[in-house]
Amino acid sequence: MAENAPAISVRGVCKDFGGFEVLRDIDLDIATGTTTCILGPSGSGKSTLLRCLNWLEEPSVGSIRIDGKPIGRTGEGKAAKPMDRRELAAARTRIAMVFQHFALWPHLTVLGNVTEAPVHVLGRPRREAEEEGRAILARVGLAEKADMYPHTLSGGQKQRVAISRALAMTPRVILFDEPTSALDPEMVGEVLGVIRELAREGLTMVIVTHEMSFARDVADTIVFMEGGCIREVATPHDFFTAPRSDRAKGFLFRS
Amino acid sequence: MTWPAIRTILDGAVVTAALAAVSILLSLPLGLLVALLRWRRVPVVSGLLATFVSVVRATPFVTLVLFVYFILPSAGLELNPVPAAILALTLNTAAFSSEIWRSALQTFPLDQREAAMAFGMSEAGTFTRIVFPQIWRANLGPLVSEVTILLKCTPAVAVIGVVEITRAASRVGAETYEPLPPFLVATLIYTALIAAIVRGQRVVERRIARRFGSVSP
Amino acid sequence: MNGLLVVWESRDVFLLGAANTVSLVLGCLLFSIPLGILGAVVLMEASAPLRRLLAELIDLLRCVPFLLLAYVVYYGLPELGLRLDSWWAGLLSLTIYTTAYLAEIFRSAFFAVAKDNIEAAHAFGLSRSLLYRRIILPQVAITAAPMIGNQVITTIRDSALLMIITVQELTFAANFVSANHFTPFAPFAAAVGLYLLMSFVVEEGVRRMERVRKVRYG
Repeated sequence: MAENAPAISVRGVCKDFGGFEVLRDIDLDIATGTTTCILGPSGSGKSTLLRCLNWLEEPSVGSIRIDGKPIGRTGEGKAAKPMDRRELAAARTRIAMVFQHFALWPHLTVLGNVTEAPVHVLGRPRREAEEEGRAILARVGLAEKADMYPHTLSGGQKQRVAISRALAMTPRVILFDEPTSALDPEMVGEVLGVIRELAREGLTMVIVTHEMSFARDVADTIVFMEGGCIREVATPHDFFTAPRSDRAKGFLFRS
Repeated sequence: MTWPAIRTILDGAVVTAALAAVSILLSLPLGLLVALLRWRRVPVVSGLLATFVSVVRATPFVTLVLFVYFILPSAGLELNPVPAAILALTLNTAAFSSEIWRSALQTFPLDQREAAMAFGMSEAGTFTRIVFPQIWRANLGPLVSEVTILLKCTPAVAVIGVVEITRAASRVGAETYEPLPPFLVATLIYTALIAAIVRGQRVVERRIARRFGSVSP
Repeated sequence: MNGLLVVWESRDVFLLGAANTVSLVLGCLLFSIPLGILGAVVLMEASAPLRRLLAELIDLLRCVPFLLLAYVVYYGLPELGLRLDSWWAGLLSLTIYTTAYLAEIFRSAFFAVAKDNIEAAHAFGLSRSLLYRRIILPQVAITAAPMIGNQVITTIRDSALLMIITVQELTFAANFVSANHFTPFAPFAAAVGLYLLMSFVVEEGVRRMERVRKVRYG
C-alpha cells in the first residue's frame, strides 16, 4: 500500500473552533514529488489545513496519512484513538515545516538550528549532521552564516535558515506556511528562488502562499480554498486561464 | 493554647500593624525624595544616595536592625528598640521604593514634560501637577508590594526586643514550653494580614484602571 | 581604630560565619533551582486540580515571613520525630521558601518563551523532555538571569534571619563579636561589607549572562 500511496492523503477533515467551522469535509491527495500551492482569500482555512497536516491543529473529524501511515490518530472511524506524544513526535519527523515568522530557536546558532532535530530527535551523529548542515546552508547561500545567531540575520536569510532546518530532516514532505508574507519586498525573491530550486529537484512540498505569479510558475497543482472548503484542484495553467468556479474567478480578479 | 496567650499575640499584631503603618508613611515619601535627588543628579548627594541604596539592598534586614540599634548610643541617642525598629524599616523600604520611583521618573515621557514647560509651568509645578499624579497611579502595584515586603520584614525587629507578633509568640512559647503552637498562630496572623493586602491591592488597581484607563507612563 | 583591630582579631569568627552563609545559600540553590523548575513544569503541564493546588500553595508560602517559616520548621520537625540541628533546619526552611519564589520566576519565564518557537519544536518532533531541556530551559537561563539573581540576593538576605534559630552565619558572627567586645560599628560594618561582596559576585554573574544575551538575542 505504501508503495503507491500519495505523499499525503486527507480524508473527511473538519475543524471547528468553538462552534465556528474553519474546515469542512476536506479530501485531498498530494502526489509524491509534486509541488502544491494552496491559494485562497484570508480566512479561507488554508493555513489551518496546512497545520492539520502535521497535527499542530487537531482536526475535529477525519484522518490524515503521510506516505500511507496515519498521523495524529491510529485506527479508523469509531475505533480511532489519539496517538500518544511519542508516536506523534515520531510521525512528525517525516513532515517538516517552514513557518511564516521563521520560528528559529534564538538561543542556538544557525548551524545549531539546522542540526538540533537531526541530532536529538533522529539520533544522527553530531559530526555527520554538522557536515550535512553546512552543506545545506551552502546550498541556500548561507555557508558563512553557520556560526552566527539568528538575530543577526535579515528576514530573507532567517527564512532560508528555516528552510535549511526543514531540509536537514530529509523529510518526505515540507510544509510552507506563507513563507514570504513576513518579509520585506526586496527579500521575497531570494526565498522564492530557493523554493523554486527545491521544486526543480523534485521535493514534495505544500505551500500556502499569496504570491500568485510564483504559484503559477512553480506549482504542479493549485488547490483553491474558500470558506473552509476546497473549491478547485487544477493545474496552474487551467486555474489561472480558465477557473471553473465563480469564486475562483472573483478571487483571481481581485488579486 | 489559652485565650490570654492568644491575646498576647494579638496585642503583638497591633504593634506590628502600627510599626508597618508608621514606617510606610515615612519611607515612601523618603524613597521619592531619594529618587528625585538621584534623578536630578545633584552632585555628591546622588553618589552618596546610590551607595546607600546598594548597601541597603545587599544587607539583610535583620543585620540592618542590629546595626541601627547598636549604633544609636554612639550617636548620643538612647537605646530604644521601637524608634530603632522604625528607623531600620524606614531606611530599608525607602531604599527599595526609591528604585521604583526612579524607574518611573526615568521612563516618564519627555514630551509631556516639554509640553508642560511650553505652557510655562515651573519645574516644581510640572512635577506636582503632571508627573506625580501619573507615576503614583502607574506604580501603585509595585508600591503596595513594598508594603507586603515591609510586613514580611517586621519579624526581624523581634531580635532587638520589640514585642510585636513574633516576639509575643516566642514569649508565649517560652512560658508554656511549647513553642510550635504560638508560632503557628503567628504565621496564620501574618498570612492573613499579607493576603488581605494583596487582595486589596488587586481591587484598588482594578478601580484605578477603570477610572483612569490603563495608566502606564 | 580599636574596632578594626577587634574585627581583625576575630577574623576566624567572621570567616566561619561567611562560610556558613555561603554554604547555606549554595546548598539551598542546589535543591531549590531543580525543585523550582519542577514546580514550574507542574504549573504548566499538570492537570487542572494539581496545578491549582500547587499555585495556591505557592501563593500562601509567599505570604509567610521567612523567619516564621524557619521557626515553624525548627520547632515543628521534632514534633514529627525528626531531629535536625539548626543548620539543617535552616537549610530546609531556606530551600522551601526559595523554591516557592523560583517556581513563580521560572513559570513566568517559561510563559515568555515565544509560542512559535515551541510550536516549531513540536513540528520537528521534539519530545516534551527535549523541548524543555533543549529549547525552553536554555532560553530561560539567559532571559530570567536578572530575576534569578535578584532572588539569590534575597535568599542571602533571608539567610541572616537564621541567626535567630542559632545558626552561626555571618550576622550571628557580627552580633557575637560586637556583644563580646562592646564595639558595635566595626563588626557590623565588616558584615555589611561581606554581604556587599556576595551581592557583587551575584550581580557579576548576572552581567555575564546579560552579555551572552546580547550576543545571542541582540
